[in-house]
Amino acid sequence: MATIAEGAARPGGVREVAYALAVRTALREEMLRDERVFLTGEDIGVYGGVYGATRGLLREFGEKRVRDTPISEAAIAGMAVGAAIGGLLPVAEIMYCDFLSIALDAIANNAAKLRYMSGGQLSIPMVIRTSAGGHGYAAQHSQSLETWVTHIPGLKVVMPGTCADARGLLKSAIRDPGPVVVIEHKALYSTTGAMPAEETLEPIGVARVTREGKDVTVVSWSAMAGTCLDAAQELAADGIEAEVIDLRTLLPADYETVVASVRKTGRLVVAHEAVTYCGFGAEVVAQLTERAWASLKAPPVRVGSRFAPIPFAEPLETHVVAGKPEVVAAVLACVRGGGGRA
Amino acid sequence: MAGKPPTEQLLSLYEDMLRVRFFEEKIDRELFPAGLIRGLTHLYIGQEATGVGVIRALEPQDYVLSTHRGHGHCLIRGSPPVRVFAEIMGRRDGLCRGKGGSMHLCDIATNFVGANPVVGADIPIGAGLAFAAKYLENGRIAAVFFGDGAMNTGAFHETANLASLWKLPLFLICENNRYAISVSLERSSAVTDLADRAAAYGMWHDTVDGMRVWDVFEAARRAAEVCRSHQQPVLLVANTYRFVGHYTRDTLRYRPPEEARDEFREHDPIHLAERELSDDCGVSVDVLVELRERVKREIDEAAEEAQKSAPPPVEWAMEDVYGDDR
Repeated sequence: MATIAEGAARPGGVREVAYALAVRTALREEMLRDERVFLTGEDIGVYGGVYGATRGLLREFGEKRVRDTPISEAAIAGMAVGAAIGGLLPVAEIMYCDFLSIALDAIANNAAKLRYMSGGQLSIPMVIRTSAGGHGYAAQHSQSLETWVTHIPGLKVVMPGTCADARGLLKSAIRDPGPVVVIEHKALYSTTGAMPAEETLEPIGVARVTREGKDVTVVSWSAMAGTCLDAAQELAADGIEAEVIDLRTLLPADYETVVASVRKTGRLVVAHEAVTYCGFGAEVVAQLTERAWASLKAPPVRVGSRFAPIPFAEPLETHVVAGKPEVVAAVLACVRGGGGRA
Repeated sequence: MAGKPPTEQLLSLYEDMLRVRFFEEKIDRELFPAGLIRGLTHLYIGQEATGVGVIRALEPQDYVLSTHRGHGHCLIRGSPPVRVFAEIMGRRDGLCRGKGGSMHLCDIATNFVGANPVVGADIPIGAGLAFAAKYLENGRIAAVFFGDGAMNTGAFHETANLASLWKLPLFLICENNRYAISVSLERSSAVTDLADRAAAYGMWHDTVDGMRVWDVFEAARRAAEVCRSHQQPVLLVANTYRFVGHYTRDTLRYRPPEEARDEFREHDPIHLAERELSDDCGVSVDVLVELRERVKREIDEAAEEAQKSAPPPVEWAMEDVYGDDR
């Protein structure tokens, strides 16, 4: 994983940690800070989370605050809503975002709407942690389903692509007065990156320019944001200087940062691991054509996975899931003309 | 039924039932036909004894969660009828600023956490409130109403298991009115004695005649006591009946017309309470008539008053979307 050079400017320096440890650090810090924070979900206690993101927390905080649940996603999410109304700060894990389907009533119909429908009487300060992407898990364990939740007013949605953000955004999510869906990335859990040594909150709704460039703006999030940085390195060898933006928060998204960049570069590529069709990239492109039409020198290009379930066999998966080659090709198409991949 | 109920208490429960009945009749006969209510409205006529009996057995600090058929629960919990009417008519003085409507009533002042019209959705939310109460050791319990239809949702079964496993102070009340919209209990449930379901989760349970308010009150008091003192979930099944349609435009083609007529004649909870009050408690007809007239007047005045409330200003539409936007 690419490190974020910008992070080095923070006080106290940085340390190299695994993404899973960054998540765990956030959970632990917030649990130490506020006794109302508790964790609930499948295999998060004794086992420590299937990716180790909650390892050791049961031992440290006890069964009252780290709750291994039965395989009951509807109850996990619904109970988190009730616990939030009742004065706690639940962090509920839905192991794979593919399983949000089973928990969505509580998230989309209740967590997102109870404050509104009650005329502001209720508050739902809860976090849903889940994971997207990954390799080798086939069609029901590796989807990137962020648009399932970005379409719902009342939710906030963050997708950290770095260790610093995995910790800083999760901490902000836990402190947010409303429901926040934190979508982590399975392929990142075991990768290492820089994390500030000191406790740091990353604000929800603020994008980060992770690489400056003059020729084209490449917007991405989650693991794909790192892939785009790698692609930008490769493109630099071809004389193309890409400006890479890690959106970090999809809802509410920081379009101002993207607009400012596109005003400079005149070109936009949006890349994500989710399927291109009806992906969040479509929204980013629409927002930018509305907000910065006059600055665009070429049609914006979307990069995403092909419109098929994710296949198991590696060559098929590689064919379907978008990666660095697709980003490079899309940027070249955007800069030199000829259109990108659909 | 064991012994005769204390007169004053029964009179008070009877008054609550009247308030709900007159409130719903006002909607059914006047406000809805006059076009003052948009969308869907689900009336509680016939089920009053269940709501009154259970809610009056709770403590003020307890949480109450309800369904799409929630006007009664909200009123019994103590919300001013004028504010409930205003909400149902989408007015600015409504409990939820006119943004929830009939199906989403909520009044945090009475710990009425709210009506929830996604069938079964209130059950895990109630378990979450019970979890919070246990976590914070505040002595509260969460009372969750739902219908026979909700007993078939995954949310019920997931929550029943989890609540028993975690010993949550969750008071589940199934108001079995025998129809899930149009599908009868016999046509939707493999087990028609719904309390049997609790056995699968090792949960304390009881069944009560939901048309007899004192019986419900007594049963609910016992259930709430078990729930609170033993910190465990309980299921109370109250067998009841709705005399009216599922909602205000229901054609009722799924049940014979004489069924409701006979049920009403034999089991109207208000008639049953009146008979008990006059026959067993010696309350005079004059007292009952006077009480009826007073409550009827109160409801009429509340409906009048609510109509004076203006619609909410459009700026309110974009408030309360997020926790930090107002």
